[in-house]
Amino acid sequence: MKKFLLLTIFLFINVMILAGCWNYKEIEKLTIVAGVAIDKGENNPFRVTVEIVQISGGKETKATSKLLTMEGKTIFDAVRNAISLTGKKLYWSHTKLVIISKDIAENGILRVIDWYNRDAETRSDVYLLISKEKTAREILEGKGVTDEIKSFEIADTLKNEKSLSKAPTTELWKFINDLESPGISNVVPTVNISTSENISTPQVMGLAIFKKATLIGFLNGRESKSVLFVKDELKGGLILDGVQVNNSQPVSLEIFKSKTKMEPIVKANHNIEFNVNINTTVSLEEIPTSMNLTDEIKLKKLTSRTEEVIKKRVGDCIKKVQSKYGVDIFGFGENLRENNPRIWNQIGNNWDDKFKELKVNVKVKVKIKGSGIFSQSIKMGD
Amino acid sequence: MIRKKNILDQNKNNTVEEDHILVKSLEANIEMFKNLFRDDEMLIIRKFQNKYLPTAKCCLIYLAGMVNNDLLNENVIQPILQNNLSEEIQTNHLLEELQYKIIVSNNVEMVNRFDELVATVISGDTILLLEGNDNALMISSKGWPSRSIDEPESAKVVRGPREGFTESIVTNLTLIRRKINTPDLKLKFREIGERTHTKVCICYLEGLALEEILAELEKRLDAIKIDAILDSGYIQELIRDAPFSPYETVGYSERPDVIAGKLLEGRIAVVVDGSPFVLTVPFVLAESFQSDEDYYNNFIFASFNRLLRMVGVFVATGLPAVYLAIVTFHQEMLPTPLLISISSARQGVPFPSAFALFFMLLVFDIIREAATRMPTPIGQAVNIVGTLVLGQAIVEAKIVSAPVIIITAISGIMKLLSPTALGSVIVLRLFFLLLASVLGIYGYIFGMILATLHLMNVRSFGVPFMLGLSSVKNHNGQDIWIRSPWWSMTLRPKIIGARNLVRHSMKKTPGSKPK
Repeated sequence: MKKFLLLTIFLFINVMILAGCWNYKEIEKLTIVAGVAIDKGENNPFRVTVEIVQISGGKETKATSKLLTMEGKTIFDAVRNAISLTGKKLYWSHTKLVIISKDIAENGILRVIDWYNRDAETRSDVYLLISKEKTAREILEGKGVTDEIKSFEIADTLKNEKSLSKAPTTELWKFINDLESPGISNVVPTVNISTSENISTPQVMGLAIFKKATLIGFLNGRESKSVLFVKDELKGGLILDGVQVNNSQPVSLEIFKSKTKMEPIVKANHNIEFNVNINTTVSLEEIPTSMNLTDEIKLKKLTSRTEEVIKKRVGDCIKKVQSKYGVDIFGFGENLRENNPRIWNQIGNNWDDKFKELKVNVKVKVKIKGSGIFSQSIKMGD
Repeated sequence: MIRKKNILDQNKNNTVEEDHILVKSLEANIEMFKNLFRDDEMLIIRKFQNKYLPTAKCCLIYLAGMVNNDLLNENVIQPILQNNLSEEIQTNHLLEELQYKIIVSNNVEMVNRFDELVATVISGDTILLLEGNDNALMISSKGWPSRSIDEPESAKVVRGPREGFTESIVTNLTLIRRKINTPDLKLKFREIGERTHTKVCICYLEGLALEEILAELEKRLDAIKIDAILDSGYIQELIRDAPFSPYETVGYSERPDVIAGKLLEGRIAVVVDGSPFVLTVPFVLAESFQSDEDYYNNFIFASFNRLLRMVGVFVATGLPAVYLAIVTFHQEMLPTPLLISISSARQGVPFPSAFALFFMLLVFDIIREAATRMPTPIGQAVNIVGTLVLGQAIVEAKIVSAPVIIITAISGIMKLLSPTALGSVIVLRLFFLLLASVLGIYGYIFGMILATLHLMNVRSFGVPFMLGLSSVKNHNGQDIWIRSPWWSMTLRPKIIGARNLVRHSMKKTPGSKPK
């Protein structure tokens, strides 16, 4: 019995020492990092700017942000230099985004993301963004519109991006995942500053194309939507310009549901074609002219017009990427690898070359589901 | 050794030798009583004589306050005093004649052993001595003030019977008997307590209660060698399983309907004189979450209430520990806005979260304990101190952060959902909090594992303590996590009701469907 008791106590102590979480720290002592911006430094390779959440007590909770800039030879060097400024270690668990400047991205971002992915205190579910401005720091400067803390505001923007669909959302783990898998190249949303009435706010729009870990080009917001169409990542957003009734102003169509099927067709001599079938359900949300919505012929016309517009845009976008950048950001290669690994093993090595000459047939099917909560457009009395 | 022997001798001092019997002389007999009850001025010795028959010299002996005076006056003293005994009865068997023809009482017995007579007097009955007889009559005359049958304070209900047990064992047994009108209801008496001679009654339904459990209960009751039993709590602690566990392994209730319900499931009740709390064995954990009102209300509503109670116990024990673990070890688990608001509330608070939680939980229990003992008007003052001074001022003074108060309050309210589990909740809560303050969430989980291991290990009279909680299959789970409707509960609970499993044979849903 005595032996048993001793053994139990021994095991208990072992369990405490070996498995416990040994870092009791009070919540108000944390320096919470909301977002990071990474630029080239003046004297050092990196200049890291972190947005810190400053919490003040009292009856009302007030959280304001403060920027902290430090330089270092590596990212981790810069981050650790923060201790000399704040006196505390930075707390990374609630960081929402990492903004990387164009300069850094053009030289490859592997050096940047490696620490972030490797360190135990950081999380890899942060959003990755590329700054289109001169520095990434600018994005975090100034005040937010809805949220005092800019990083949180941008993170919210990215979360709600699904009903706008003008930029993809890329989390760090996804970036690394796609980086490691052959047959797909990464896209990262871009952020720029839009100034109106002397208030400059960050705007997430468009995407940056990566070849491996190096930035090679940008696409604008409309093209981004086409990319999302092909990648089957479209969850919402509008289709408008180009879709016209009787050559007048455009109507707004809101995307309810969109499903894209990509299917490789292997022909002789390992010639490969891709069929991209887009099935979209939309709804009429805004009609500037009076139009009888119950008229089937008119609706059919509108439907086929919309199909054409989407087909043209997606086709153009694919062609542009093929000719200008030559990297498969749509994941055709990945699709082929999954569906037909035998062929992939034979031609996968020089997929980028193959991609440049890949023939893609885009088929679009649009279904107009409804017209908001009214069936008629506004009738003007005489 | 010598001292112990002395104490034992002293204990013997006042007891009566068993073979001691009465003598023929009335005065000598009275003297014996006077001797035994010396210095007890409550002993009343009333001598009187029939005016027609001078040989009928009688004497009543009883204890003041323990007897019904009207009954003695009208039914014993008056008939003997005023009837013409010399004509009406045969004077050569005077005592028998008195017993059979004169005394108007429902229970009169003839006894000659002195120790029996003494016990009779002590228990509140009266003895009648007659000159020239070495026998005496025991006249049933118990009557002392007792509390009326009220609604019990400890278990109030909105729906259901409002009567509660009192301190009188006879009343209590009557209350049970009134619920279960069958000769199968068996009541076995015994006396426990070498000085108090407290009456204890084992109460069960023959053919329902398991004989093994009954035998075990009797064995445990017989093993009790204690000088006094003042409440059923004594017995509860003396017969329980797992004596060191914070969990109760013997059930108790102040309500006859609850006890009747448990008897009908095959459990055995122990009624103790002087206590309004009746014990039931075996007791399983699930019973802590059952309330008698569950069975009277709509079963859907009752099931919801029962789930609330279970969640209540779970949250009350775990919430402070989980809060502490997350706030001090795993801040990454908090949603960012919550992190900011907690962090803001803690700005300027000098004490660590762990200390604040321990402190506040302690304060809550201090207020609870103080309010329980205080008379109602002062109890309200305690409440004001608790809510205003401690709740509000302590936050404004930045000694404790507001979230800690919220956590304490939630945990404090939740634990009151199941009053029977209160003791174990309070102990386990502090234990979990201690573990969480050292090991974080891992410590809490570790504590939960330990508690579960312990619970799985405990048995109450051979019945697993966690009976029914691990399964929702068959009839097992019908009355554990939810309360099934009566028409579907055709079987009694497993193991406890195994002797006679079928409760009823109603299989159909009541009511008629419209055609």
